[in-house]
Amino acid sequence: MKKQLIYSLTAVCISLSACDNSLNLQPRQSIDAATALSNDQDVTSAIVGAYGQLGSGSLYGTDFLLVPDIYAPDNYVTWRGTFASYRELALKTQTNANAEAQRIWLASYAAINTVNNALASLSVVKDADARKSLEGEARFIRGILFFELVRLYALPWTAGTQNQQPGIPLVLTPSTNVEQAATQIARATVADTYKQIVDDLTRAVALLPTDNSTRADKYTAQAFLARAYLQQENYAGALAAANAIIVSDVYRLNSSVTAAFRNRNTQESIFEIQQNDQNNAGASNDGLTTFYASIPTAAAPIGRGDVQVSNTFVATYDPADARRNELLYIGYKGGNRVYTGKYTNFGDNIPIIRLAEMYLIRAETNMRLNSKVGDSPGNDISLIRARAGVGPIATPTLAEILRERRFELAFEGHRLHDIKRFRQSVGTFAWNSPRLVLPIPKREVDVNPSLIQNEGY
Amino acid sequence: MKNILLFLLFYVALLVTPALAQERRVTGRVTQADDDSGIPGATVQVKGTTRGTQTDASGNYSITIPPQGNVLVVSFVGLAAQEIVIGNKSEINVALASDSRSLNEVVVTGYGTQQRRDVTGSSATIKASEISNLPVQTFEQALQGRAPGVQVTQSSGKLGAGLQIRVRGAASISAGNEPLYVIDGIPITSQDVGTTTTEPYSPLADIDPNDIESIDILKDASASAIYGSRASNGVVLVTTKKGKSGRTNVNIGYYTGFSNPTRLRQFLNRAQYVELFSEAAVNSGLVPAEEFDGNGIDINSKDDVLWSEQAFRRGTVNQLNFNVNGGNDKTQFYLSGSANKQTGIIKANEFQRNNLLLNLNHTASDRLSFGAKFSVARTINDKTPDDNDFANPVQLNALPPLQSVLDPATGELNNRTLYYNALIEITDAYNRATTYRSFGNLNGTLRIAKGLNFRSEFGYDLLNQQEEIYRTRRTESGAPTGFGYQNQIRSLNWTSNNTISYLNTFGDHAIDALAGITYQEQNIQDANATGRGFPNDQFKKLASAARIVGGSSSETGFSLFSYIARINYRFRERYLLSLSGRVDGSSRFGASNRYGVFPAVSAGWLIHEESFLKGNQTLSLLKLRASYGLTGNSEIGNFSSRGLYSAVFYADQAGIRPSQLPNPNLGWETSTQLDIGIEFGILRNRLNGQIDVYSKDTRDLLLNRPLPGVNGFTSIAQNVGSLRNRGIEFSFTSQNLVKAFRWSTNFNISLNRNTVTKLNGQPIEPGSRFLGRVAVGEPLGYFYGKKFLGADPQNGDAIYEGADGKPTSDYAAAISTKVGDPNPKFIAGVTNTFSYKGVDLSFLFQGVFGNDLYNVAGFFQSVSADYFDNQTVDQLNRWQKPGDITQVPQVRLYGANGSQPSSRWVQDGSFVRLKTVSLGYGIPASLLKKVYLQTARVYVTGLNLLTFTNYTGYDPEVNTQYASSSNQAANVTLGHDFYTPPQQRTITFGINIGF
Repeated sequence: MKKQLIYSLTAVCISLSACDNSLNLQPRQSIDAATALSNDQDVTSAIVGAYGQLGSGSLYGTDFLLVPDIYAPDNYVTWRGTFASYRELALKTQTNANAEAQRIWLASYAAINTVNNALASLSVVKDADARKSLEGEARFIRGILFFELVRLYALPWTAGTQNQQPGIPLVLTPSTNVEQAATQIARATVADTYKQIVDDLTRAVALLPTDNSTRADKYTAQAFLARAYLQQENYAGALAAANAIIVSDVYRLNSSVTAAFRNRNTQESIFEIQQNDQNNAGASNDGLTTFYASIPTAAAPIGRGDVQVSNTFVATYDPADARRNELLYIGYKGGNRVYTGKYTNFGDNIPIIRLAEMYLIRAETNMRLNSKVGDSPGNDISLIRARAGVGPIATPTLAEILRERRFELAFEGHRLHDIKRFRQSVGTFAWNSPRLVLPIPKREVDVNPSLIQNEGY
Repeated sequence: MKNILLFLLFYVALLVTPALAQERRVTGRVTQADDDSGIPGATVQVKGTTRGTQTDASGNYSITIPPQGNVLVVSFVGLAAQEIVIGNKSEINVALASDSRSLNEVVVTGYGTQQRRDVTGSSATIKASEISNLPVQTFEQALQGRAPGVQVTQSSGKLGAGLQIRVRGAASISAGNEPLYVIDGIPITSQDVGTTTTEPYSPLADIDPNDIESIDILKDASASAIYGSRASNGVVLVTTKKGKSGRTNVNIGYYTGFSNPTRLRQFLNRAQYVELFSEAAVNSGLVPAEEFDGNGIDINSKDDVLWSEQAFRRGTVNQLNFNVNGGNDKTQFYLSGSANKQTGIIKANEFQRNNLLLNLNHTASDRLSFGAKFSVARTINDKTPDDNDFANPVQLNALPPLQSVLDPATGELNNRTLYYNALIEITDAYNRATTYRSFGNLNGTLRIAKGLNFRSEFGYDLLNQQEEIYRTRRTESGAPTGFGYQNQIRSLNWTSNNTISYLNTFGDHAIDALAGITYQEQNIQDANATGRGFPNDQFKKLASAARIVGGSSSETGFSLFSYIARINYRFRERYLLSLSGRVDGSSRFGASNRYGVFPAVSAGWLIHEESFLKGNQTLSLLKLRASYGLTGNSEIGNFSSRGLYSAVFYADQAGIRPSQLPNPNLGWETSTQLDIGIEFGILRNRLNGQIDVYSKDTRDLLLNRPLPGVNGFTSIAQNVGSLRNRGIEFSFTSQNLVKAFRWSTNFNISLNRNTVTKLNGQPIEPGSRFLGRVAVGEPLGYFYGKKFLGADPQNGDAIYEGADGKPTSDYAAAISTKVGDPNPKFIAGVTNTFSYKGVDLSFLFQGVFGNDLYNVAGFFQSVSADYFDNQTVDQLNRWQKPGDITQVPQVRLYGANGSQPSSRWVQDGSFVRLKTVSLGYGIPASLLKKVYLQTARVYVTGLNLLTFTNYTGYDPEVNTQYASSSNQAANVTLGHDFYTPPQQRTITFGINIGF
C-alpha cells in the first residue's frame, strides 16, 4: 500500500518536471525579438525586410506614387474609384481620419523602426564590408522615408526662408520594449528634417558599394539625393548628383519608352521596387496596377480603372509621341476613357527612379544655373525626346524642359511635389496651401499630444 | 507523457492481484410506481463499479455483486433513479417514480460525477432524449431554449457554420467568448482552426448528436473553477453513450425530410422597379431611360425575374444510424455508426457526415478497470460564399427584375447583370471542406484502498481538414484561366489527466476529494497553395496550374500544465461545502506571469432534510446554495506575450521586421463570480424549480493600448478593461398529469445585463458600416450612431436627430447616440411533453426578447433607390409630395438621401419560435414480439416550424460573419445582418427500431 503510494508520487513528480519545460513553446512563423538580430545574416534579413516594407501599398507599392498624382488631379487625372480616401484627396475634402494619410505615416515609421533596429545591431556584423554596406542601406531607407514624409506632411520647403515650419518626427533609435515604443516625439522643423535627410543620404552614398544587385547602391542614394536637393532648390547639389550618375556610365536609356515598365531592372533603372506574382502591393484592393489599369481582356478586365487620364492632358502630347501612343490606351469601359500603360501587371516591378529623370534634372539645373555640366540642356532633353519619337529641341526654354519632365515622368508620383517646387497651384489651392499637406493622422495626435496638427485639420 | 504510460503499465503488472471473490447474486424486479407495471430496459448498476445490467422485457434483473459493492443504483430515463443499500438481501424490488429532475440523479462534473442533491454549483443538464433525432449538424443547435442562462445563436442557415454560445453573457471584449468543450473528460478543439473563408467552420459538427448521453453546462465559479483559466465563458461537458452489461441491443434509426427557408424578403417586381427608379432618376434631374441604359438595364425589358428567390431551393436531410451495445459484468461496449447527408436551402450548400464510435469498459479486477474510446468521423461541407461576397447567392436579391437569368443570345447564365450573377458561382465553382476527425481516450482506474482511487487518462483529438476551391474561368474570380486552391490543416490536441480521488463517510461526515495534474498541448499546422492558369475547366487540381500564385505553411500551438484539487464535504446529509481550484501554467501567458490560481468555494443547505421539514409532502425539496470564485479566460492568442520578428517579402527575397512588442506581464482575463441559488420541489417533487442569481465581474480584459506609431508600433495588448454580467435564471418543471395520460411542462427564462465598466480611455468605435460599439456604462456592442427620423414632410430629405434635439437633414451635424442594443433583455424556452399509450408529443417554444437588429444591407436594398440595387417593397412607401409623413425619404438616384449609417435599418429583433415539435408512436411490444423486435418507434419532427417576429429581414436569428474580421469584431458587432441566409425550417420523418 505504502509502496504503491510512493510509486504514484514518483510518477507525478516525473510528469511534473517534464511538463514544466513544455510551457516554453516557441512561435514558428515568428522569432523571438531578443535574439532576432544576432549575426550578419540576421541584420541583412532586417534590411531586406525594410525593402519589403517599402514595397507595400502604403509606401512605394502604391501611395508614394499615386497620392502625389491624385492629390493634384486638375487637367491630369480623374479619380473614378470607390475608395473614399483617394476621392477626398482628389477633391481636397480630406479630414484628419483620411485612411491614406494614416497608412503612409504608420508604414513609414514601422520601416524606419526596422532600419533603426538594424543600425543598432551593426556591431554584430563581423564582415567589415557588409557592415558598411548594411549601414548605408539602412541610412538610405531612413533618408528616403523622411524625404517622402516631409514632402507630404509638412508645408513645402521654401528657399530663402529659415524653414522653421514643423517637419516630421525624426526617430533615430529603435523601440524594443513598450517604454521605448510609448515615447512621445515632437516634430522637427522642415530645415532640420532636410538636414537629416541630406545627412542620411550623403552617408549612404559614401558607405554603399557601386553595385548592390537589385538593392540600393551608391547611385541609388545619389539619385535620391539629387531629388532632395532639387526640392530644396539646391540646383548645384542636384546637378552634381545627377551628373555623377550619368557620367558613371552604369546606366543607359532603354531604346523604347515601354521597356522600363514591361521588364525588370532594365539598364535605365536606378531603383525599382521588386515584385512578383506572390509578393506585390496588391491585385484587388491595392497596388498601382489595380488602380491605374483598365485593360480589356477576353475574360475579366485587368485593373479597376480607378484613375482615368484626362483627355486634356493626353492632348498636350505631340500626336507622334510614343509616350502617348504606347503608354496611354482606351480602357475596358470603352468610350474615350484613357488610362496609363505604365502599370499593367500586378507582379511587375515598379520603377522608382530612372536614368531619364537624371537627364531631366541635369537639363533643368544646367538651365537654371546657365551651365553645361556634362552636356547641354538641349542635348539632354533631345535624348529623351528622340527615344519617344519626337524631334529634338536644340535650345529649349525652362518651360519646355519642365514640360518634357511632365511628359516623361507622368504617373510616377512627381506631380504634387513639382507643383510645390514651381510654386504653381492645384485648382484654387496655392502651392503652399495647408490643404495640399496631409493631416497628421488623428490617432497619432490623440496618442502623442506633442505632435502639432497641420493647419485645417 | 511516456513516463505516465510506462508507469501505468508497471502498475498493472504489479497490482493485478487475484481478487479473492466473495461475489453474490441479487435478483429482483423494477416497476413503475404509478401502475406497478414492469419496466424493460431499466439500468441496474453496482455503485462505484462499472458493473451493471438491464432489466428484461418484464422488468426482471439479475446481477452479480462484487465484494466491494454495497449499493445498487436503479435508473430509467424519465424516472427518478434510486439507490438501495444491498446489505444481505438477495432479492431487491424497486418501484421508480416519475421525476424529470431527480435529486439522486448523477450529474457529470469536472473530473468526476456527483449526485444532484450534493451539487453546490450551478449547472444545467440536457439529456440525450431531449436532443436525439433532431435534424441539426451540431449538437449545440439542439441546446437552444433548453438551458437557462445559455444563449445559443445560429448565425445563419448555412450548413456546418459555427454558432455563437454565450453562457451568462459575454465576458470578454477581445478574447474568446465561447465556452470550453470537454468530451468524456478531454478538452477538445471547438473553434475554427483557421479555415480560409471568414465563415468559421464548427469543429463540433464532427460529433454525431446521437452518440451523446448527456450535456452538462457548468455556469458558476464553483462548478467551473476546476477548469481554471478557461472557465470564464462556462464549460460544456459532453458525455458519450456507454455500453451496459446485459443483453446485446441493436438499434437502427433512420429519418428523412426536407427543409425550406424560414422566411424570405419581398423585393420590387418589374413594374414597381421601373416606377420607383424612374421617379428616382427624375427627382435627381436625370433621364430615366439614359440612366437605366448607362447601367446596362433595358428599361423596356419584358423580364420579371424574382431574383431574391433564385438563391434558395428545397433542402433535404437524411440520416441512417445504428448502435450495438451490451456486455457482461467484466466488459461492456457501445458501438455506433451513422451516415448523415443534408442539402441546404441555399443552392450548392451541402453537408455530409459519417461517424463511427466505439466505447469500451473493462473491469480487470476489483482493483483495476480500464476504459477506451475511439471515434472517427468524416465531414464533407460544400460551403456557401461569405456574406460580403458577390458570389453569395443571397446577394442575387440586388439584381434588377428586368435582367434575365439566362442570356437569350447564348442560352447560358446571364453574365451581364448589374452585379455578378452568383448563379454562375453555383454551377461553376465549389468550396469543399473535408474533415477527418478522430477522438480517442484511454483510461485506467486503480483502487488503492477503500474509497481511494487513482485514475490516469490520456486523450487526443485529431482534426485534419482539407479545403479545396475551384472556380472556372466563367466565374468572376476564376477568370480568365481558372482559380484553384488547396489548404490542409492538421490540429492535434492531446491531454493527460492524472487524478487521485477519495470518497468516504465517517459517521455524519462524508468526503469526496480529488487532486491531480493535467497537461494539454495543441499543435496546429497548415499548408496551402493557390494556382491559376488551368488548361481548361476539366482540370481542377493544382498539378495542372501554370502558375502557383500563392503558397504557405504555418504552425502554432499552446501548452497548458495544471494542478487541480477539489474537496466536497457533507455533514449530516444536509450541510454541504465544496472547495475547488486550479493552478494553470500556460505557454500563452507572459514570462513573468506564467501561473494563474483559480479558487472557488461553495456551500449548500438541504433545508428539507431538517427535522422541521422532513417528511413534508408539500415542500418536498428545499435547497439553498451559494458559490464564489475566480475563473479565467486564456483565449488571448498563442504568442501574444512575446516580442516577435516576422518574415516580410521583397519579391524573391525574404526579410524580417519587428512585428510585436514583448509584454512579459500579459495574462488571462479574470472573472469573479458570485452565485446564489435556491432549488425547491413541491408535492413530492411533482413541481420542481430552481432560481439562480449571479454577478460575474470580469477584469484584466485584454485591450490594445494605442502607442505613437512613430516608434514603429501602433499598439500593445494589455490586461486593462473590466465588464460585468449580472443576471437571474429561473427554471421550472411540472408533472401536470402522471397517469396513463402524461403531461409535463418545462419552462425556463433568464435575464442577463451586460455592462462595460472600464476601458482603455476611449470607447471602441464601430467599423465604418457598423453600429456595434463598446463604451463604459453600456452593454457590449450596443448600437451607436445617428438617429434616423424618416423623411422631412416638407421636402422628403432624410432627417436625423440634431444636437439640439431638433431634426436636421445635415447628416454631419446630427449627433451620434445610442440607437439600440443587440443583447436580449431576456431569453426563454417552454417545452411541453405529452404521452398516452405509446403516442408521444413534445414541442418547444424558444423566445428571445428585447434585442435590436441592424440590417447592414439596408445601405443597398432599402435606401430610397440610391443606386440600381433592387429595393425592398417597403421603399414604395416613399415621400412623394409635401405633407407626406413616412419613414422612407424621397427616392433620389445617386442622391444619397439617407444612405449613411444610421438607425434607419435598426429594428426590434425579438422573436418567438416553435423550435421543435416531435410526434411519435411506439409500436406495442405485443405486436413487436411477432417480428422479433424489442422496440419500434415512428415519428415526425419539425424544426423552426413557426417564427413570430416584427423583424422585416430574412430571419431574426442572425449574426453576419461579414463583421467578424477579428475576435474583437465578432464579439462587438452583434445582431448585424448582411445578406445573411435565413434559417432552415425542416420536417423529418423517422423510425427507430431495436432488436
